Amino acid sequence: MSGGTVLRCWLALMLLLAATTASAFVPLGDFNLPVSLTIAVIKALIVLLFFMELRAGRALVRAFAAAGFFWLLIMITLTGADYLHRTDARAPIDQATPASR
Amino acid sequence: MSERALGIQYATLAQEREAVTLGMWAFLATEVLFFGALIVAYLNYRIWFGNDFIAAAKMTKVVLGTANTAVLLTSSACMAMAVTTFDSGSRRAPVLWLSATALLGLAFVAIKATEWWLEYQEHLVPALNFDLGRYGGIAEIFFVFYFCATGLHALHLLIGISLVSWLAVRIGRGTLVPGGSTTRLIGLYWHFVDIVWIFLFPLIYLAGRNG
Repeated sequence: MSGGTVLRCWLALMLLLAATTASAFVPLGDFNLPVSLTIAVIKALIVLLFFMELRAGRALVRAFAAAGFFWLLIMITLTGADYLHRTDARAPIDQATPASR
Repeated sequence: MSERALGIQYATLAQEREAVTLGMWAFLATEVLFFGALIVAYLNYRIWFGNDFIAAAKMTKVVLGTANTAVLLTSSACMAMAVTTFDSGSRRAPVLWLSATALLGLAFVAIKATEWWLEYQEHLVPALNFDLGRYGGIAEIFFVFYFCATGLHALHLLIGISLVSWLAVRIGRGTLVPGGSTTRLIGLYWHFVDIVWIFLFPLIYLAGRNG
């Protein structure tokens, strides 16, 4: 990796940092989180591909690097599937004794 | 250049390089899940508690947080320069870049400690002095996440600073010569700690800023 590549990556990271901080103060409602997380993913990819040399790395090394993030996505999906579908409904045994609460 | 002996279990230098790189990535995969569990917990609490949780995030110091992100991203660029200059055979340049990396790492910890001190004065530290009556229970849950996440991240950074300093001393004394993987592997660890912060930063500091 050349010094020029490092400099360009650093400039891109600084611009993305400015963009993500600025975007947080723009009222986008529910879209603020996806926007900031998308920028975070782009920043992480710059670090992974260039600084951590995955772009020039062999396929096996890339597969090892991807594995951790892949398992994390499984964890996020399955945990989210549980919590997103929980409701405030009480079990019958709790509904029967409101006075004791 | 390469006076360094090859590990006895390897046939070629390329084989050794790939094996140790794979080993480092296997370790980093466990680190992804270690910090990932914290982030999953955060996302679920954020969905569950909604605005009350996001309002607590607004009490974090966004200026210091943004400055710290810039410091850490710059330290990663310095680390990448250290690896590049070391591979090209220079001895002075990597020592200077590694010193810059370690100093920026220390600057990050110093800014982080300042934030913790400010939060302590605002009675925002759970289990020490959290003002439950003033901020409420949901804010306390946010700050439990905040102190666990930033504390564990700072611990990783302190380990990284120690490794980078040790590396700078060894390269400076000439006991570590190009051809091996030590510098690159410590670089991988440093960049990984940077990636963790890249995700913690928007979750902690940028939530609820326009509300």
